[in-house]
This record gives sequence, structure tokens and C-alpha cells, in this order.
Amino acid sequence: MTFFDLARKNAWRKPLRTLLLMVCIAVAFLIYGLAASFVAGAQGAAGASDELLGVMSATGRTQPLPMALMPRIAADPEVAAVGYMTRMRGFIEVEKNVVAVSAVDPGLLMSVNGKELGLTADLVDAIGQARENVLVGRALADAQGWTAGQRIAVTTFDIAKQDGSRDWRFEIAGIFEGENASTDTYFMIGRYDYVNAVRARGKDTVDAFIVRPQASAVPDLAAHIDQLFANSAAPTRTQSEKQFLEAFLRQYADIGMIVNLVTGAAFVTVLMIVVNTMVFAVRERLFEIGVLKTLGFSQTRIVALILGETLFVFAIGGGCGLALAKLATVFAGPNLGLVFSPLVFAKALAILLVLGFATGALPALNAIRTPIINAFRSR
Amino acid sequence: MTQHIAQEPYIALKGISKAYNIGGQAVPIFSGLDLCIPHGDFVAVMGPSGSGKSTLLNMLAGIDRPDAGSLRIGASHLDQMGEAARSSWRAHHMGIVFQFYNLLPILTAAENVELPLLLKPLSRRERRIRVERVLDLVGLGGRERQYPGVMSGGQQQRVGIARAIVCDPGLLLCDEPTGDLDRKSADEILEMLCFLNRQLGKTIVMVTHDPQAALHAKRTLHLDKGDFVEERRAA
Ligand SMILES: Nc1ncnc2c1ncn2[C@@H]1O[C@H](COP(=O)(O)OP(=O)(O)OP(=O)(O)O)[C@@H](O)[C@H]1O
Ligand SMILES: [Mg+2]
Repeated sequence: MTFFDLARKNAWRKPLRTLLLMVCIAVAFLIYGLAASFVAGAQGAAGASDELLGVMSATGRTQPLPMALMPRIAADPEVAAVGYMTRMRGFIEVEKNVVAVSAVDPGLLMSVNGKELGLTADLVDAIGQARENVLVGRALADAQGWTAGQRIAVTTFDIAKQDGSRDWRFEIAGIFEGENASTDTYFMIGRYDYVNAVRARGKDTVDAFIVRPQASAVPDLAAHIDQLFANSAAPTRTQSEKQFLEAFLRQYADIGMIVNLVTGAAFVTVLMIVVNTMVFAVRERLFEIGVLKTLGFSQTRIVALILGETLFVFAIGGGCGLALAKLATVFAGPNLGLVFSPLVFAKALAILLVLGFATGALPALNAIRTPIINAFRSR
Repeated sequence: MTQHIAQEPYIALKGISKAYNIGGQAVPIFSGLDLCIPHGDFVAVMGPSGSGKSTLLNMLAGIDRPDAGSLRIGASHLDQMGEAARSSWRAHHMGIVFQFYNLLPILTAAENVELPLLLKPLSRRERRIRVERVLDLVGLGGRERQYPGVMSGGQQQRVGIARAIVCDPGLLLCDEPTGDLDRKSADEILEMLCFLNRQLGKTIVMVTHDPQAALHAKRTLHLDKGDFVEERRAA
């Protein structure tokens, strides 16, 4: 027997109770793993750099900005390149099958963001051949089973054409791969000139400008750009690409916040259940802890024993939850845009440790606060 | 100098006072208690319920502290030591045997005995050898894997004794070690304590209500109204 065996045996004292705790922790970490993978994958946040800046309307993310701002941004000596985009959300055939089309100037996008998206000169050339050409991201192409050369129809939710229809026909000119696995490629790139010419409203506006700063640019370039338009008719709000992508690239609700709330609620619930159970589990054996103290177990060892026990329960429960989440991302990941990145894993481990210590702390404190003579009286 | 220390009593209590706060009032248990126990002694402590026998034992075990007075065991002044130091002292110098055995039900006999060894820098193998040796000594060889729940009271108390001596402490404290046992088992346990005292030189302080049990000790102290009356000294 070792010290760890003792903690383990204590944990398994009531197998059903321990199993239920582990299941409850596993579910919480499964939720966390899936949600965090979704955020990392769907929003491309894992692959997003802090380098790029997104310029949007200060009045609201869905408010367009006039195209006319572009030259003034480009004129700033701190700015290396500027692109722009209008985001169309729509679906393929059934409303559940949501896709997003970023209408851009491919050449400008290439100079700003080409490397991250995995754009090549050939791809830019290909989309340039016809107005209705699009480039499709790898994740989206795989999910829909599309190949280059195929014709597709997107029904947009928001942007209507001049003829009142919301059906847009595109031809796939190529597929972009993204720089690495965590790059968001679950969208397609269309041509702004085409979309802008055909759409009924919002002509010559964009949803955002994308700015690549000079390597030597001042850190507060974002504030500097917003300053330019502060008192104009179209005040702006500039953020790094990371913030920008999370907030905007897919115009869902604020997924990050919802995910945080849901997982936060799950963790708080787990925390309360486990703390409560552990407090009782330890109270039940204050007497035995008193015995250990008479045998010469120090306060530190008693604390370590109880923390070891909670960490053991968390390690197994959390490990199972994360393993399930990882499995889910492997099997369903590309379709759902789930990326179980090392960062997600590291965060989960950190949460696991913090929760394990936090739940062990209160019962451990109770245990060491009880003097041995009182422990003997609890019989 | 060494000569002088060797002649000093092993356990020395001087002017011990202890009061408990019961219902907001300080109720004195001891006021100015003195006691000397030489090396290798076997002392039975008797007295009416509530006379402070367990309190005394707790103080000797470094579990409870006197309010005033000095308490020395060997070279350790327990009254001046902090919690951590007393805890480490317990691990090295003292074994305790309880009336209700106080074994951990989730551990086997061998694991219960091994518990105090976890506090020592011993390898797994060394620990196993020691556990086997003391279990043999108390006559439980072959029952290593049994759980306390399936053992008789006498057998459980043997495990308790094995656990108390596995670290080879100089001092053995027993709080009514036979209080829960039938006559035959009780006598076996008492024989075992005598053996530990005579053959292995353990100093033993045993609290008991049983005059027959007290007969096994070298001397019996009667505790009443916070002071000792020596009752009997073995020839
Ligand atoms: N932690 C404590 N808090 C308050 N009072 C205590 C505490 N411990 C002991 N006492 C009181 O001190 C007195 C002596 O208790 P102790 O347990 O030492 O008696 P005892 O001689 O061992 O009795 P018994 O033979 O019943 O075991 C009792 O009146 C008891 O109520
Ligand atoms: Mg008592």
C-alpha cells in the first residue's frame, strides 16, 4: 500500500456515490470539451492571430460601413494592407444547412489574410475568371461533399437581390485549405463586385475592413484608426482578428459568451455537488482522520490525503469527459467545425486542477480544524 | 552526565493542570498533578468514570495539552512542542491501543498495520517485511488479507496492537484495551502486553476498569479527584 492507494481506497469507499460523482464531472467536462472545441473550430479563434485588425461599425456589428472609409484607412502609414468584406449568411437546400459567404476583393484579401486562409495565386486567379465564382474552404467543402467545378445555390437569409429573390448561384472555382487545422475554413469566399452589383440594398457598403498593420506599427493602431472616424457619420470599432473573428466572422449570437455561461453553469453545479458530497464524505470519517492523526499523520498529510482523493475523482471523471469530447471531435469534428486543440486541452486540465483543489479545500479544512480529541468524540 | 540522564524517569509530569470548558465554566480535571514513570514500567491506571484517565492518556500521547505544568517523555518536552512536532513525535515514539480498536474498515489487517509505516522512509518491501513480522508476533500470521469486519474483537485488538508496535516505539499507551473483550480474549491481549513489556522492554501505560487486567501490570495507580493514589505494586 502507498499513500496514493490510501486516497484511492478512501475514494472508492462508497462506489456508487463515487461513480455518480465521476459521471457528473465527466458530463461537465464533456460539455466543456465540446463547447470549447466548437468555439475554437467554428470561429477559427484557435488559428486567429492578434496581428490582423478588423474595423467594424461602432453602432453595431451588423451595421454596414461605407466603402468610402477605405482610402483613409489605407493612407495611414502604419497600415500595410487593407481588405474588406460583406458577409452573407444563407443555407443550402434546407434551412439547417447554414453557410456563410464572405464577399471580398480576392486580391486585397490575399494581401491581407492570404497566408492564414491558405490562398494561392492560382486560387485568386481562378476566382477572378468569372463573377459568380467562389472559393470554398476545406471544412465546408468536405462537409457538403463539394469539389471544384461544381455549381451550387445559396439561399441567403438577409441579403436579397434586386429581383427580390434570395437565391444566389455560384460556381466553385477552387478550394482553400487554411494554414493549419485550426484555421476556420467553414465558409466560402465570393466576389464583392458581383454581390454588390446584384444586391437590392446596402450598395457600396461593407461589414468590415480587414487591416494588416506594418510590422513596426504602434500597438494602439486600433485606437488610432477609430480616432480617424470618431466624429464622422460612421464611427468605427477596431479589434484584433481574434476578437474580430470571435465576434463577427460567423454572425451567430455571441457564441463565446453563451459557451462560457453554459460551461460556467455546468462547472458551478458540479462544484457544488462535489463539494457537498465531499464535505459529507469527510465528515463521516472525522473519527478515522482522528485515528490517523494519533498515528502521527501531520496536518499536511491529512490535507494531501483529502486533496488526493478529490483530485483522483476529478482526474478519472474529467479524463473520461475529455476523452469523449476528443472522440466526438475526431468523428464529427469536420462537419461541426469542432477543433479539440491543445489549447482547449490545456485549459480543461487547468480547470480540472483548480476544481479538484477547490472542492478538496473545504473538506480538508474541516478535517484539520477538528482537534483529535473532538474527532474521538464523534463516535 | 549520561549516567544522570539514564537515571531520570522516562516520563515526568510536574504540576500538570488541565481544565475543560463545560457549559461556559472551567471545570478543573487536574490541578498540580505529578507523575514519574521509569523506563520499562507497566502501569495500570484505574479510577471512576470521569476522573480524567483518558485525558491523562491523551496528554501522554501528545493529543491534548496541559494548561500548565511540564510534560517530558524521553528527551521530548511535549508541553513546549507545536502541533507538527507532536505529530511527528507520535509517529516515532509512541504507539496507542484503543478500546474499540479503531481500525480502518476499508483496509485489510496488513494495510492497517502498515499505516504508520507510510510515515517512514521505507521501501514497499521493507514495509511488507515489518508488517509480516509484527502480525506473526501477535499471532495473526496468514490473516494479512482479512478485513477487520470479519474478525473477532480479540483478533481486531491484536491488529490494533500490531499497528501500535510496528514502528517499534518505546512507549505504548492503551485506553481500556480489553474493555470490549470477553475474559479469554482479554487475557490473551494482556499476556501479549506483558510479553511486549518484559521481552521487548516497552514502557506501557494502560487505563482499565478491570481489576483483573490491572493485575498484569507492574503497578496500579488509582486516579481520584485529580490525584494519584498508588494501590498496589507487584512483588
Ligand atoms: N474535550 C473535552 N471537552 C469538555 N470536557 C471534556 C473533554 N474531554 C473530557 N472532558 C471531561 O473531562 C472529564 C474527564 O474525562 P475523561 O474522558 O478523561 O474521563 P475518564 O476517566 O477517561 O472516564 P471514563 O472512565 O468514562 O472513560 C469528564 O468529566 C469529561 O466530561
Ligand atoms: Mg476514558
